[in-house]
Amino acid sequence: MEHKKRRLLTLPAVGWLLVFTVLPLLIMLFYSVQADDGSGFTFANYLRFFSKGMYLKLTGRTIVWAVLVTVFSLLIAYPLAYILAKKLKGARGIILVLIIIPFFTNQLVRIYSWLIFLQDGGVLNRLLGALGLSSGDTLGILYTQAAVIIGLVHAYFPYMVITIYMALERMDDAMLEASASLGATKMTTFRRVVFPASMPGVVSGILIVFVPCLGTFVEPRILGGTDGMVIGTVIEDQFTELYGWNFGAAIAFLLLAMVLLSMMAISKWGRRYDV
Amino acid sequence: MKRNFLTRAGAGILSLVMLLGLAACGGDTNGETAGGGDSGEKTKLYVVNWKDYASDDKELMAAFEEEYNCEIVNTYMESEEQLLTSLKTASEGSIDVCLPNCTILPAAIEAGLLKEIDTSKLDNFFKLYERFQSQKECVGEDGKMYAVPFVWGSTAIAYNTELMSEAPTTLASLFDEQYAGKITIRDDYNDAVMAAAIVLGQDPAAPSDLDAIKDLLIKQKPLNRTYWQTGDEFSKLFAGGQIEFGMMWSGQAATMKNEGEPIAFVVPEDGAIGWVDNWAIASGSQNEELAYAFINYMISKDVQYNWATKGGPAPANQEAAEAVDPEYAAACGMDEDSLNRLYFMAYQDDATKAKWAELWTEVKAS
Amino acid sequence: MKKNLGSKAFVLLALLYLYVPIFVLMVMGFNESRYNSLPFSFTLKWYQELAQDDVLLTATRNSLLIALVTGLACMVLGTLFILGHQALKNKGKQLARSFVMMPMSIPWLILGLSLLLMIRAVDLEKNLFFVLAGHIVISLPYTLLVLEARVQSLDQTLEDMSSSLGATAWTTFRRVTFPALAPAIVAGGFLSFMISFDNFPISYFLMPAGISTLPIEIQSSIKFGFTPEINAISTVIIGISLLCLAVVGLIMGKTFLGMIGGNKKNV
Repeated sequence: MEHKKRRLLTLPAVGWLLVFTVLPLLIMLFYSVQADDGSGFTFANYLRFFSKGMYLKLTGRTIVWAVLVTVFSLLIAYPLAYILAKKLKGARGIILVLIIIPFFTNQLVRIYSWLIFLQDGGVLNRLLGALGLSSGDTLGILYTQAAVIIGLVHAYFPYMVITIYMALERMDDAMLEASASLGATKMTTFRRVVFPASMPGVVSGILIVFVPCLGTFVEPRILGGTDGMVIGTVIEDQFTELYGWNFGAAIAFLLLAMVLLSMMAISKWGRRYDV
Repeated sequence: MKRNFLTRAGAGILSLVMLLGLAACGGDTNGETAGGGDSGEKTKLYVVNWKDYASDDKELMAAFEEEYNCEIVNTYMESEEQLLTSLKTASEGSIDVCLPNCTILPAAIEAGLLKEIDTSKLDNFFKLYERFQSQKECVGEDGKMYAVPFVWGSTAIAYNTELMSEAPTTLASLFDEQYAGKITIRDDYNDAVMAAAIVLGQDPAAPSDLDAIKDLLIKQKPLNRTYWQTGDEFSKLFAGGQIEFGMMWSGQAATMKNEGEPIAFVVPEDGAIGWVDNWAIASGSQNEELAYAFINYMISKDVQYNWATKGGPAPANQEAAEAVDPEYAAACGMDEDSLNRLYFMAYQDDATKAKWAELWTEVKAS
Repeated sequence: MKKNLGSKAFVLLALLYLYVPIFVLMVMGFNESRYNSLPFSFTLKWYQELAQDDVLLTATRNSLLIALVTGLACMVLGTLFILGHQALKNKGKQLARSFVMMPMSIPWLILGLSLLLMIRAVDLEKNLFFVLAGHIVISLPYTLLVLEARVQSLDQTLEDMSSSLGATAWTTFRRVTFPALAPAIVAGGFLSFMISFDNFPISYFLMPAGISTLPIEIQSSIKFGFTPEINAISTVIIGISLLCLAVVGLIMGKTFLGMIGGNKKNV
């Protein structure tokens, strides 16, 4: 009896999400299959997306960037998390605080700071010049793909540090000792013990970076220059510029499908490592 | 031990949250109580306009705000299309006056987004050039007037006089490979398509070969340092020496020159894009009378003259235009010669617009 | 000792990367140039201008208020959910969890736009309620993650013991469950507060005309005219946040760092 009643406590949260997430998405789905001239149901919006090479191309660009950001984040976050969890245990509290502090500034401000830092004649340019590491006054990093990647990795990799750290921290050090005492090399121990144990953290870390990267629309425009258009900016344009709400809704849905598919793929891949 | 820690931790963070809350609630709360209308409070006139475009110039607006005991609240637009979308989606009373040009005016009029304008309520209307009193895009299909011309100008070329020894004299130089990496054009499909059409010798109001235009723009793309979207972005690119020249509006070039930037404006021999900005009253406006007073004020000789000489585009008010020093006018592209070189923007129907927009997306995706 | 040298170097490099824009941001707040251009010349004028900038200060206050309400709402909804969730079993438990975590896997752009379409579909005006609704939707899963982690490490037997000793459900909650959950509830609420405070996409699409938040003002200033006042206010916010951290740290002493480090022994 008690238990049954207690289950009802989940209802407020579930109800809130039903009304403010599921319902709006259904409404969006409805818009996406409406004709612009008001003639009712149509698949034209979806067909339009696939009939033009450019939308697929932009989708491709978006995916490539999201993958690159995820990979670079992983390359920074994994070693960092490992060091925090297993090596520099004494200092980890303070290091974690240091990793969290940048979140107290707005993400757009941080992106804008990158612009100031990277631009020709900007801070980095002058710093390198002063150190005699670069000649001339052009750096050529800003308004390229590299600038977008640098900015986005910076924005998202700390989340990954935290998820991987949490997974590694949960792992018992005794397992490492056991593995070592059984004669395993460091590499083998890592491959057979540490890596599988960190997998849940890696998977959620990848998701927590990859998903928002697919949906970015502000950062690429600021840092990417003429190549700063991604699928998110196409969607935004349809809503704020072109009044193409139905088409915009259709693209948004395709993006969502992409996100869900990649999530399924990533989770499936992660599950292979379940011990 | 455990309990003790938990309660202390909880209390600590809770008190922090409350502190933040107090900081948030504290202070005066006059900010967001929109509307109002109490006798003590100033009426707010909601204006959608370009940034640095007269209505946000405190000096120019002071007299008006004082006379009508009102406050002008500016919202900035990024493009004509965005203004049209805001008009379509705005709530009652959130926009009073806005500044559309011909690329969206007919659509806005047809969709019933604007109020009819009774020109007899505007003393200064009859001081406009005659051609502006009957500006065709301002008149709806019902023969009624829906907008009042404010200023005209051009989207042409501005260059850095310190970095470039020779002035770029053609619009085609924006497409010239020898300037690779030193150019910036505007991220706007209308401007891009029209400029390419002019360079290709097509009629910019009705381009015949969109594929050629697309190819040209794709070839031009890598020549840009970046595309600019807002006037401020251009200013920063220019001030930082990131670009040497680019597509620019006559008005902003004049403003920047007055601020001491080494900038010069050119209306090229092969032509440039011309436009007329017009004041209109949104159909949802709750302040119609004040809106009329505002428009009348904006087209008065004084405001028009003052703004033109401190960096605005060319006045639509004849008396104001004639009062401007001819040499200054020529330098800012406000003179007769420049005027004759312009291809004025024309209204394009939705299908054409969609085509142009898609073409531009294709260029950016390339 | 020696072998940790590489580790230390790596941590330093990562922190350097992390802090480059933060330093640029703070330093440029004291730079004379409006365009953030070099060379550097010291001034406090952006702070003086910030103190008189009603637009920016009002936007900041709005952000704080919205974040506060979002944080509190997430604390309540999250706690209720997690308590109810414990009583669920197997399939139902799994399903409920995936359902409430769903917003994490939807880009904010899409959530914001779908809420905008909903407002249009039911023919409403944009309003603050929907802004809050959106902020709660995106923050709630994070609150729940924190709570869930805490619940998993909680001893179920403690509750069972309490009830077998004859305590009512309410007493058990008040005396056993709640005190044990309290830090997680607060931490979860704080996380929601942060997410809401920093959120741009949701507010951008849903904010009614005439009201803005700090992220909206920042985006608009990046577009229409950035002044180092933005740097100034960001620096102030970092400062206040650090102060908060320090205060919490002082109250709780060493255990605080331990808690952040997730060191079980201390919690």
